[in-house]
Amino acid sequence: MSAEVAPDIACLEGLPEYDVTWPWSPRTPSAPGVPGSPAAALAPGLTCVFRVRNEARNLPWVLPPILAAVQQVLFVDNGSDDDTVAVARRVAEECGAADRLTVLDYPHKVSRAGGEHLATPATSVHSLTHFYNWSFSHVRTAYSMKWDGDMVLTPEGSAILRDLSWQLEASRAIVAMPRHPLTVVDESTGWLDLSLRFLEPWVYPMGPEFTFVKAFDWELREFPPDTERVVLPQGLCVEVKWHDADEFAHWRTEGVDFTNTRLYRKLREFEVDRAIREGTAAELGGLRQVTAPPGVHIIDHVTHTWLGEQPRPLVTHSLPTSLRERSAR
Amino acid sequence: MPAESSTDALGNALSAARETGPDSARRVVFVVGSGRSGTSTMSGALRTLGLHVPQPEVLADATNPKGFGEPQWLVDLHDELLKRSNVAVSDARPQAWLEAAKVGADHAVRQRVTGWLADQFADVEGGHDELVLKDPRAAWFLGLWRAGAQACGATPSYVTMLRPVTEVVGSKQKYYDARQGAITRTAAWINMMLHTERATRGEARAFVRYADLLSDWTVPVFALGEQFDLSAVKTAMSVDIAAVHSFIDPSLRRVRLTWDDVAVPDRLRDLAEETWVALDGLADPGGDTAEAHEHCDQLRAAYAEQYAEAEAFASSTTLAARRDGARQALAGAAAPAQASGADKIPHSVRALVPPAARQKIRKAIGRER
Repeated sequence: MSAEVAPDIACLEGLPEYDVTWPWSPRTPSAPGVPGSPAAALAPGLTCVFRVRNEARNLPWVLPPILAAVQQVLFVDNGSDDDTVAVARRVAEECGAADRLTVLDYPHKVSRAGGEHLATPATSVHSLTHFYNWSFSHVRTAYSMKWDGDMVLTPEGSAILRDLSWQLEASRAIVAMPRHPLTVVDESTGWLDLSLRFLEPWVYPMGPEFTFVKAFDWELREFPPDTERVVLPQGLCVEVKWHDADEFAHWRTEGVDFTNTRLYRKLREFEVDRAIREGTAAELGGLRQVTAPPGVHIIDHVTHTWLGEQPRPLVTHSLPTSLRERSAR
Repeated sequence: MPAESSTDALGNALSAARETGPDSARRVVFVVGSGRSGTSTMSGALRTLGLHVPQPEVLADATNPKGFGEPQWLVDLHDELLKRSNVAVSDARPQAWLEAAKVGADHAVRQRVTGWLADQFADVEGGHDELVLKDPRAAWFLGLWRAGAQACGATPSYVTMLRPVTEVVGSKQKYYDARQGAITRTAAWINMMLHTERATRGEARAFVRYADLLSDWTVPVFALGEQFDLSAVKTAMSVDIAAVHSFIDPSLRRVRLTWDDVAVPDRLRDLAEETWVALDGLADPGGDTAEAHEHCDQLRAAYAEQYAEAEAFASSTTLAARRDGARQALAGAAAPAQASGADKIPHSVRALVPPAARQKIRKAIGRER
């Protein structure tokens, strides 16, 4: 029976429920109970995979443009203790997309990016690598994308992604989308960081050549060397930071290893956070203060109006101001 | 014009557009579908009823004696974008959709389209804020146009004209250059029609059979007016309606062909026929269903597979053409340059001359760097 057949990636802890069996594997139960039956055919379309913990606050902005763009959303909750899952279900319901949202629970503590990740074996349920392989093994469409619970697409970004969900069908291209950090100070004010051209591929075909492997600080999605890379224009996505969440409190007290340039993006976030806190954001360089008109939330204003009106390119640098003089390696 | 001021002008136009609010009466009807499927007839009928066709238009010719109903600006823009994306108007490659989309996502292109659309709405005086846009190339850039329409506060809608593939291919053979054979045209038709269906799915759209338009245009056109809330159609006076009657000439459907007249391999014919049947079903009342979409998805996948096979089959021809192209490019690059005296001496020999001596020689022959 299928349980006797080895999975594609057995987890180190011996928990069959958290082993990875890929949809293209003959073991995938497309024909239940028939070992070696043909692999489940991947339907055309795009599945968005979220790994979330305590993102209830962001989801009303994050989910609707994603649900408008993709065929399926796989929402993997990783130990939220707020009402993240309930909010996700409610938003999907409001968007008329409850049937396209699948919620999975991944109860294992996942190592933090950096040293903790490095020390965790790739097939452990605590590894980011295993977490992503397990999550993406539930995808049943030909394309998939990773998305974070704090990334908000503009309506234009959503429409472009929606078109890509079928335009990519005949290709094996991967898609990178620039994102711009937006620190929300209050309902009508925010600082948008346009100092850094941060480009990461988000959208990949599904297949054995596009799975996750372990890198030094976090996981890495592989792709063949001749893969075409489509780069989307700037100004289609913001990454929301809430100033009052004070996520860098421990950085200020504990100190941070500033020599690790792989963490430069995080370091820039820290600099921005500190400058806004100290009232010196205007002097930091690369930051734009945006004020929403009365009655409009700053996230809505930036994504629906402001970004579309700005001249291009929005961002010209590939490194933050503070690191431009440093060696990247 | 300096970038700053054109950005300001666009910003003002967009602010004005947004002030029209969600209940804006602005409409853009895109008439899409394969060329020779009655797209000119449909856009002409809508124009006659009062929708605005941006001017100037492409002039009528023998292939389309009643006019194309195509704004020249639209045709020029699409030609430029197709060139940039290396896609042909009639292109059978499934990958061509991604190529065109990459160019269509460009912010500067989007600003041009939005600015032009905003100007068109500003031009319409005292009447309908309703445009009809038609160009067979537009299907490649529907995402671009949708974004432009929305930025101008206009509601986009799509009419896809349907005509049996045999008649389209036959009509094209009659009117256009004969270089593209029936097989290529049939493949391009499948690619265009199935992907246009996919691109307009979920939008306000209608499928209209060319035959229905010619036999009694009032039925499909009235339905469009209701479905897309087009005030020009809903408030058309009898004089406008009479004008459409004299515009639409049932004898326009001059080419009536069957598979007996179009020589393609059985497998391609079957796929084209099944595609036609699926699309034809979408034109039935209540025919635009989830099941129909799924069927179209399957046909699209089957087409991509058949195309990939054909590509692999003909890959020697492709590679030979690529080598030939590269050779011609090299020859072209080498030809205009006048070979200097030094260039006639092999590099290995020139390299033997010490740098200081080389400098002196250059000075002596007046070719100092």
